[in-house]
Amino acid sequence: MDLSDFTKDNSENAILKSIVPQICKDEPCCLGIDEAGRGPVLGPMVYGVSFCPLSCKEKLEQLGFADSKTLSEEQRDELFSKIKDANDFLGFEVEILSPNYISKTMLRRTKYSLNAISMDSAIGLLRLAIEQGANIKEVYVDTVGDASKYQEKLQGLFPRLEITVTPKADAKFPIVSAASICAKVVRDQVLKSWIFFEGDDIVTRDYGSGYPSDPATKHWLADNMDKVFGYPQFVRFSWSTTSTLLENKAYHVHWDDEDEDESAKGTASLFSFFAPKNADPRDKQHSFFEERHLKRVESF
Amino acid sequence: MFEAKMLQSSVLKKIIESLKDLFADANFDCSSSGITLQDMDSSHVALCYLKLRSDEEGFEDYRCDRNITLGVNLGLMSKILKCAGNDDVVTLRAEDEPNILTFIFDSKNSERVSKYDIKLMEIDSELLGIPDTDYSCVVKMPSHEFQRICSNLSQLGDSVTIDCHKEGVDFKVAGEQGSGAIKLKQTTSVDKEEDQVTVQLNEPVTQSFALKFLCAFTKATSLSDTVNLSLTQDTPVVVEYPIAQHGYLRFYLAPKIEEEN
Repeated sequence: MDLSDFTKDNSENAILKSIVPQICKDEPCCLGIDEAGRGPVLGPMVYGVSFCPLSCKEKLEQLGFADSKTLSEEQRDELFSKIKDANDFLGFEVEILSPNYISKTMLRRTKYSLNAISMDSAIGLLRLAIEQGANIKEVYVDTVGDASKYQEKLQGLFPRLEITVTPKADAKFPIVSAASICAKVVRDQVLKSWIFFEGDDIVTRDYGSGYPSDPATKHWLADNMDKVFGYPQFVRFSWSTTSTLLENKAYHVHWDDEDEDESAKGTASLFSFFAPKNADPRDKQHSFFEERHLKRVESF
Repeated sequence: MFEAKMLQSSVLKKIIESLKDLFADANFDCSSSGITLQDMDSSHVALCYLKLRSDEEGFEDYRCDRNITLGVNLGLMSKILKCAGNDDVVTLRAEDEPNILTFIFDSKNSERVSKYDIKLMEIDSELLGIPDTDYSCVVKMPSHEFQRICSNLSQLGDSVTIDCHKEGVDFKVAGEQGSGAIKLKQTTSVDKEEDQVTVQLNEPVTQSFALKFLCAFTKATSLSDTVNLSLTQDTPVVVEYPIAQHGYLRFYLAPKIEEEN
């Protein structure tokens, strides 16, 4: 599998996809959506979809899928190569959501929650599959948040599809298991081949599973912090685990405007009551200049 | 040429002492009618306005040929004034286009004359136009009483609610650990005028203010026996200390805004 697009710049998201088998264009298909790496404090979150004709459901079951979490890494790798080999009837797509993207969207000014990121990624992949010509009829999704609301949202966007949103969908539907394996395998590979653009020498690689509760991950987070710069982009800064650690262990950041006279807080400014006396309105520059500290000069 | 001879250095000392904590640098604007000083604190919520009239008895001599602005660091000025005896006559002197301000302290019996020069500063300050308005409520009370109220209530919280109604005036504080209230009734029966509490009320007012600033204003208590609080709903409060034979020192403090949501 070619991860080079992502490894070149692992701060941006990337999509990997198989070709759409001809049979998927001709016959009505079912499509499964699942994710890997939602909880961990580091590395990407990976969304996967897989699809196959409704007529091939039995063939799919014979491949022996199960929830990616219950399988060992070897089993998953084996199943993933089976998926790739079955390219005559089985297609898949994977989106890698970089940790940098997750941090930056979750922490931006207008709130964008992880649930919204997840749903948007799932919707994007489903759209892409349809655009590529796959004749999707049924969709099975492992839920994020409230199943009925998610179902409603998807149904509103794709009224012609038969959509099933349910918890543990990866255990119930083989097509979701296939998606889940694609996502999990890709996440594992991304983690293994992760290039630290901040410099490989600054970090160790024994970060464990990435889950905040994993002792190895805790150790890694404690040992690999830079007191000024915090963590490499590999870590999700929007996790409370990260912000608590930075708050406690890294150098404290002093924001000038934050402690500008606490006691005056809540009091109105005198400017809202009294106007400047000798200010000529014609002298007043547009705020554009003021904000950028641009001043008129007479000589250069 | 600017020259002002004040009979009592203690007055100037007290003025500068009461200002220097909130207002670091200030411009003295001198004209033939007297000396004024207006300055805002760094957070732009408090303002002081000092007026010393040239025609009052406090100046033995006053001369100002051209309007001049004297930018002074008040901390430094306070240090210089500490060198003067309380009863010394103090003379301020500056040229028409001044770089320095000269202080001359004459002890009463003229045995000692001391002279200090300080360098003036270019202070970029924004003067605010304060309209003369009628306030809804003017409370006159002994200045030490106001000082005591502010310091007592500041033990419990950061902001005081001043509530003026026809019976009198209430000062209330509510903090995380407790609350307190001081009620003042009008007292007309007291013999001495400076001990009276009077409330001139056109309209009731209830408004909250940051206690830290009110407490800072009360550093001027020794300037005057009485203090006047002028309030109107949703406008800054005026805390005025009249200065006998000179003029007055006023402080303006913007009200607290109701927290939204």
